[in-house]
Amino acid sequence: MSKIRLGIDVGGTNTDGVLMSGNKVLASKKSFTTADIGGGVISAVTGLLESSRIQPSDIGSVMIGTTQFVNAFLQRKHLSEVAVIRISLPKSDGVPPMVAWPDDLRSIIGSNIYMVRGGSFFHGVEYAPLDVDELDKVARDIRQKGLTSVVITSNFAPVRPDIEERAAVIVRKYLPDVDITLSYQVGGLGLVDRENAAIINGALAQLSRKVVTSLVAAFENVRIKAPIYISQNDGTLITTGHAQRFPIFTCSAGPTNSIRGAAFLTGLQEAVVADIGGTTTDIGFLLRGFPRETATANYIGGVRTNFRMPDVLSIALGGGTIVRETPKGITLGPDSVGYQLQDKGMVFGGDVLTTTDIAVRAGQALLGDPARVSGIPDALVNGVLNALHKKIEDAIDQMKTNSRPVPVVLVGGGSILVSRPLQGASRVYQPEHAEVANAIGAAIALVSGRVDRLFDVGTLGREGALAQAKDEAVKAAIGAGASPESVEIVDVIELPMTHMKTGTVQIKVRAVGNLAVA
Amino acid sequence: MFTIDSVQKIQDMARGAVFLGAGGGGDPYVGELFLRQQLTEGRHAKIIDATELADDAFVVVMAGMGAPNVLVEHLVSKVALMRLFEHAEKYYGRKVDALISGEIGGANSVFPVALGAQMGVPVIDGDGMGRAFPRIEMTTFSIFGVKATPAFVMDESGNFVSFDIINDHLAEDVMRSVCAALGSMVYGIFFQMTGAQAKKVAVLGTISQSMEIGRTIREARDHCDDPFEGLLKYLNDPGTGRYARVLYDGKIVDVTHEIRDGWHWGKATIGNSTGEDDRFVIEIQNEYIVARRNGRTVAVVPDLIIVLDAETAEPLTAEMLIYGQRVRVIGYSAADKLRLPESLAVCGPRMFGLNEDFVPVEQLV
Repeated sequence: MSKIRLGIDVGGTNTDGVLMSGNKVLASKKSFTTADIGGGVISAVTGLLESSRIQPSDIGSVMIGTTQFVNAFLQRKHLSEVAVIRISLPKSDGVPPMVAWPDDLRSIIGSNIYMVRGGSFFHGVEYAPLDVDELDKVARDIRQKGLTSVVITSNFAPVRPDIEERAAVIVRKYLPDVDITLSYQVGGLGLVDRENAAIINGALAQLSRKVVTSLVAAFENVRIKAPIYISQNDGTLITTGHAQRFPIFTCSAGPTNSIRGAAFLTGLQEAVVADIGGTTTDIGFLLRGFPRETATANYIGGVRTNFRMPDVLSIALGGGTIVRETPKGITLGPDSVGYQLQDKGMVFGGDVLTTTDIAVRAGQALLGDPARVSGIPDALVNGVLNALHKKIEDAIDQMKTNSRPVPVVLVGGGSILVSRPLQGASRVYQPEHAEVANAIGAAIALVSGRVDRLFDVGTLGREGALAQAKDEAVKAAIGAGASPESVEIVDVIELPMTHMKTGTVQIKVRAVGNLAVA
Repeated sequence: MFTIDSVQKIQDMARGAVFLGAGGGGDPYVGELFLRQQLTEGRHAKIIDATELADDAFVVVMAGMGAPNVLVEHLVSKVALMRLFEHAEKYYGRKVDALISGEIGGANSVFPVALGAQMGVPVIDGDGMGRAFPRIEMTTFSIFGVKATPAFVMDESGNFVSFDIINDHLAEDVMRSVCAALGSMVYGIFFQMTGAQAKKVAVLGTISQSMEIGRTIREARDHCDDPFEGLLKYLNDPGTGRYARVLYDGKIVDVTHEIRDGWHWGKATIGNSTGEDDRFVIEIQNEYIVARRNGRTVAVVPDLIIVLDAETAEPLTAEMLIYGQRVRVIGYSAADKLRLPESLAVCGPRMFGLNEDFVPVEQLV
C-alpha cells in the first residue's frame, strides 16, 4: 500500500488538513490557527487521524503551506535586524540599499548598510575584484554590533553567484552562527528588487527558525515521523531546512495551493480558478498544472521585489459583500461584513443586506433563516446577481491570455454566489472538497528547480544556451528532492537585451518533478 | 523656480515621465530611487524657467545611455556622476550654469534632476523632445542646430571617452558601440549650448508638465474622481495650445512583442464591446509610433500616443501591454517644435518606415 500524504494549510484564521492516498481524499478537517502554530496543527492532525482511523506510522510525507511569514512581514512582527553588505563599488552608490523602504520597516530592520568594492558586468567579467580587506572590517563591525542576520548582494549575481559565495565564506570566518542570505539565491535580474527580497528574507530568519521548529515539534507530538515539506510560492515543495533558510519562498503559497488544489480536484491543466471568500475573490490562472506567475514587480508590505509570485487578481467581492440601493443603482461593496457575516447577515438575524442573503433569497443556498429575506423584491435579486456575475466575468476575462473560452473552477465558501453560466467560461466547475482546496494543493505538491540568468548566445549558440539552461534547471530540481526520471521542463522564457546589440539573452527555465520519497 | 522637495513630487514626475514616454523611454525607477536618496540626504533639485537663465549661461545635457536591464543591476553612482560633472567643466573649459534633460519621456528625465540636486546646479524646465524617441539626432537640439558633440561618456571605473563626430546620426552609432565596450551602461554630457540657444531650441516647461500629469492622476485617484477628466482638462489647457483626446476605450485583444536589432517592435490590437468590426491597432517601435482605427490613421509620430490603464489612468509602457488589459488611448499633439518640417524630416512617420506623411492628431480625430 502506498503511503498516505498529509496536507496542511496554516492560514491566518484557519488551519486546514487533508489526508490523501494516491488521488483519493481520505479525510479533511478545518481547525483554528493558534498563536504558537503547533497547537492548531496538532488539533487538525489529531482530528484527521481520529476520523479516518489512520495510524501516524501510515503517513509517508507531510506537506505544509503557511502564510505565517508573509503575515509577520505585513504586520511588522517578529522581524530581525539585518546587516546588508552590497558588493558593487564603484557602481551603484547613488542608490544604496533600502532607499524606498517604508520608515516603519527601516526602523525595525535597521540601517546597517555596508558598501564594498567588487562586482560583475552582464557578461560575467569582473569590473572590480572583491575587496577582501574591506569585508574583513565589515564582518568585524557586524560582530561588534551583535547582529544575527546578514544579507550579501552583488552586481549581476545571477551571472556570477561565486562573488557572493566568496564573500559569505569570509563573513562566516568571523560570524560562524549568523543567518546569511545571498541575493542570487532569492531572485533574478534587477539588483534593487532582488536585494529587497534578500533583506525581507534576512528579517524573517529568526521567525522562520521558530515556526519551523514548532511545526517539526508538533508532528513529533502526534508521533508522525515522516519527512516534512513546506510549499513555496510556485506550488512546489522545499524541505523544512530550506524553508527555514528561505522563508521568502513561502510567502504566497496560500493562493498557489488553492489553484493547484482546484487543478487536482477537477483534473484540469488549464483553467481560471476563482477562490471566493468572505471579503474578496482571488482569481488566478492555472497553466500546465501550475499558477501563472506575474511578469511585473510585486510589492510585499510596501517593498518592491521581483521574485516569483502567482498572478492573482483580487476583487472586492465575497459572501459578506454589502449590497446597497442608491439613486444611481445597485452597488456591491466594496466593503464586506467579513467574518461577522454570521451575526450581521440578514439570514442570520442581522440587518445588513449581503450577497449571501441575495444568494439565499434566489434559492442558490440554504443558510440561516430564508424567511427573513423572502421580502426582497425580484428586481433587486436579479440586479445583484447580474452585477456580481458581471464582476466575476470581467475579472476572469482580465486573467485570460486570449479570448478563447476556458474552464472556470470555483473554490471557497463564497462560491454559492455563482448560479449562472459565466461568460467566457467553457464550463464552470464546483468540485467536492473545494473548501479545503489549499490543503489539497499542499498535499499534491511537486518539487522544482529554476534558472534565471544571462547566457552568451554568441558563444553557445541559441540551442546550446537553451540546453545548458534546461540542464541546470533539471539538476536544481533533482537537488531539491525530485526523482530524476520524473523531472520535466515546464517553462522556458527567453528575453533578449534591448537598446544594445549583444549576443546575450536572459533565459528563465523551470523544471518540475515528483518528490523522490513519496 | 521651484524645488523638488518631497517623495510625492518625485513620484508625480516619474509617472508623468512614463506618460510622456509614449510607450518607451525606459523605466524611470532607478533614477527615481537616486533622486529619493538625494532627498534623504537633504538635497533638493532646483528647477528653473529658461527665462531665468542668462543668454550667455553655459548649459549641457546629462544623460545615461545603455541597456535597461544593465541599468537595473549597475544602478547609478553618485561619486561617478560628480566626477562626470567636474570633468565636463574641465573638458569644455567653462563652469556649467545649468543642466537640461535630453528626453523627458522615461529614464533620462530624472537623471539630470538628480545630478542637479547632487551638484547644487539648477535644471532647466524643459528637454529636447517633449516625449521619448530612440535616437540622439531626434532631439530638437540636433534639429535646430546644436550639435551633440564634442561630448564625452564615462563609466564608474574611471574610463572617459570623448567624441567629436561630424553629425548626430553618426554620433549615436559611434557612442553606442563605445557604450557596448564599456559594459552597456554609461553616462555622458552632450549638447553644449548657451542660455540663449537653450531658450530657442529646447521644448520648454516639460518637467513641470510631467509633474502636473503625475499630480493630476494621483489626486483624482485620492479623491475617487475620474482621472481622465482632470488629465484631459490639463492637457488641453488653452495656455499651451496643445490638443488631447481619448482616441479609444477598450480591451487589448492581441499583442505581439519582438526584439530585432536591439529594438523593441510590436503591435497591440484593442477591441471594444460594440462589436468585432471595430479594431484599434497601435504599432510599437520602442515607442507607440502610429495608431489606426479600422485601418485609418488617427495619430502618428511625432504626436504622442499614450496607453493608460482604463481604471487607474496608470500610463503603460509598450513592454507592459498584455492581453485582456482594459485601456484608454490618448492622442496628444506633440510640442510645436516637433511638428515643423525640419523636425518631421528627422522624426516624422517616414523615419520609422511608415508610408505616410504626418497629419496632426486634431485633424485626424
